Amino acid sequence: MIAFKYTKTDGAEYISHLDMLRHIDRTLRRAGIEVEYSQGYHKHPRIFMGNPLALGVKSVCEYCTADARYTQDFIQLFNENSPGGVKCLEARDVKQNPNFAESIRACRYEAAGIAPFDEREILAKSSIVITDMRGREVDIRPRISGIEWRKGRLIFTLGCGENNLRPDLFCNYICGIYGGEPAEIVKTASFGENIF
Amino acid sequence: MKPVNLDSLRKLLLKCEKPSRYTGGEYGAPGCEWGKFNFCACFPDLYEVGMSNIGIKIVARSFEERCMCADFCFAPARDFGQGLKELDVPLYSLSLKAPLKDFDMLGFSLQYELCYTNMLYMLDLAGIPLRREERRGGSWPLIVAGGPCAVNPEPLADFVDVFFIGDGESVDADVAEIYLKHGGATEGFYREISALDGVYVPAFTTPVYNGDGSVDRFDGIKHIKKALVCDLDGAIYPDRFAVPNCESVHDRAVLEVMRGCYRGCRFCQAGFIYRPVRKRGVQTLTRQASELIKHTGYGEVSLNSLSTGDYGKLSELIRSLKENLPPEVTLALPSLRVDSFEEDFAQDARKTSLTFAPEAGTQRLRDVINKDVTEEEVLRAAKRAFDAGYSAVKLYFMLGLPTETDEDLEGICEICKKIKLLYSAEKRKKALRISVSVATFVPKPFTPFQWERQAGEQEVKHKQEYLMRNLPRGVKFSWSAFYPSFLEAVLARGDRRLGKVIEYAYKNGCTFDGWDNLFNEEGWKKAFDDCGICGEQYVRGRGEDELLPWDHIDVMVDKSFLLRERQRAYAGKVTGSCHGGCKGCGMQSVCPAARGEI
Repeated sequence: MIAFKYTKTDGAEYISHLDMLRHIDRTLRRAGIEVEYSQGYHKHPRIFMGNPLALGVKSVCEYCTADARYTQDFIQLFNENSPGGVKCLEARDVKQNPNFAESIRACRYEAAGIAPFDEREILAKSSIVITDMRGREVDIRPRISGIEWRKGRLIFTLGCGENNLRPDLFCNYICGIYGGEPAEIVKTASFGENIF
Repeated sequence: MKPVNLDSLRKLLLKCEKPSRYTGGEYGAPGCEWGKFNFCACFPDLYEVGMSNIGIKIVARSFEERCMCADFCFAPARDFGQGLKELDVPLYSLSLKAPLKDFDMLGFSLQYELCYTNMLYMLDLAGIPLRREERRGGSWPLIVAGGPCAVNPEPLADFVDVFFIGDGESVDADVAEIYLKHGGATEGFYREISALDGVYVPAFTTPVYNGDGSVDRFDGIKHIKKALVCDLDGAIYPDRFAVPNCESVHDRAVLEVMRGCYRGCRFCQAGFIYRPVRKRGVQTLTRQASELIKHTGYGEVSLNSLSTGDYGKLSELIRSLKENLPPEVTLALPSLRVDSFEEDFAQDARKTSLTFAPEAGTQRLRDVINKDVTEEEVLRAAKRAFDAGYSAVKLYFMLGLPTETDEDLEGICEICKKIKLLYSAEKRKKALRISVSVATFVPKPFTPFQWERQAGEQEVKHKQEYLMRNLPRGVKFSWSAFYPSFLEAVLARGDRRLGKVIEYAYKNGCTFDGWDNLFNEEGWKKAFDDCGICGEQYVRGRGEDELLPWDHIDVMVDKSFLLRERQRAYAGKVTGSCHGGCKGCGMQSVCPAARGEI
């Protein structure tokens, strides 16, 4: 199996998760990398993606596994055949599916355009209740594990997977209090088992 | 002007449905760079629709082959269009993200009449004056249009500088070369291109109307012959397609197996304007399919034409494709006729639904329209399909065909009953699903029915209600709304005076007229009223000796042949397909079938 890390930038951040799955399938097909198919009535290629990234959020650390034979030149083959903004950064030959959708527990993001504020104010709160996209009240404080400023950009780490907090919702919450507007949000790192 | 920066549109993109329509970056998109001549193919419908169109890809390739720039642009959905206006960002091309007004030529593809307001919508969003007259003397791109609707260019003649009639493979780029030679759209440029086959410069032709609204004469250039590409094997075809960012209507590799159709169904405009039938060889198609699969990564190849079942070497082609393509690639064969159903089994085994288009309910009426299909053939094909495990049938019919009576509608009900009986004659695993869709007949230019009137609202309503009452139980019935079909007929049969109505309709908020959910009937009705033009006069029956608004265009099918076919229709005589011998439509000198090459 091939586990690989790729980007979603330069416009590709507007491609939906489902379309992205199709693009990876086609990229591999164009590259001549044969992916195993599931057995059964509705056969589908055995490609396993990490958790969906919110639309409009860029990333330089998306992860995916494809059930296919690893080759040394995988990165080059992939990149010659991928759409704009989707570029493979690293690839590993793995025996087992690392199951990135489960294994990634937290992600770090960077955002520009957010008005300056003292991050300690947020971190000092014991609970932050917001209304999520489905209209439910949730406490997001346990899902925020770090906030800092670096060169005018807000760096923050949020839960992912079971404990997920969408970076765009987080930014909206912050901007709602302190002002500004996210001009760009980029996922810069993922944390969990089997990450490289 | 500078290209549009996507990051500056972030907020808008996130507010809109399917933002990846507007971002470009598709794999396989031409690596655009500004060149000696810059062309942008404009498709007046959504990205998902336009990205599936093969015509604009062929045209774009013809520019690229001459080292010219060819970019694309699609009509943005209303949410994004509105947002661009509010931000004062001009409509931009997909790859270069350049404002449309920076191009030398914008080429609109006119695939259906109900996209006309979208052409104005795109020009408006691009900040380009709509009317040809308003652009005169300014440094605006040349606005050109082609595609099947261009055979009657008059309704759009106020907005378009140059129409391309017929095959666009080479003449579009020829015009670009002449543009470069003259250093722009000068008088000399227009003079020179108007001598070419397939080029119509509306400024050089003035229709003069009689008091009753009919055409008295054409002043200026009176005869424009279509462009014809005789050899499809040698014709331009892209070996790679841009793979759309979001799922498109036909998300697969497309081959154009043939152009034209042997059948000559009398209602079908495509069957006449794309004559003569030209084919690509098995070798060419196999090579093109292999290239496309390699360069797109698609898992499906579609064998397109007006009637793929009539491709003489279809079995050989399917065999060759199966041998040469990767094993997981499936084949799709749309537009198969009832009598060529066997080939359908070559398709994806998961399919459970079969579509037939008998078009009319009785043999008498099918003879009138020259639809060479019998009820026995439909039933036989249905039985074969049921025995192979299919459990759903879709049937397409037209309402309001010439000479149609309630008896013909009863015929539609009868076919459904017989199919039901056929299915229940044996024990089958699943319940049968039959759906019947009826469209309202639109008499189109360059068909033997071009002189016919269109059925009025009350008649059509009566016919629809008849079917609602009399179709057997359990049949799913759907029909098209009257007004859009009426409008389609008006625009298809229209003349130059309609330009004003189209412009008013656009200003009244009409866009995406082909989309049921977006159709703005009030906007159109108001536009006709405001212009003092009665739409009904365009759907009236025309006299056989009348000069028709499209008579200056020559699609190379003799008018006398169309008249002969009309008389045969009224006599209930089938003419049949070109397979049974040449019918003398007027294209014999350039027609492979007339030489016996079928």
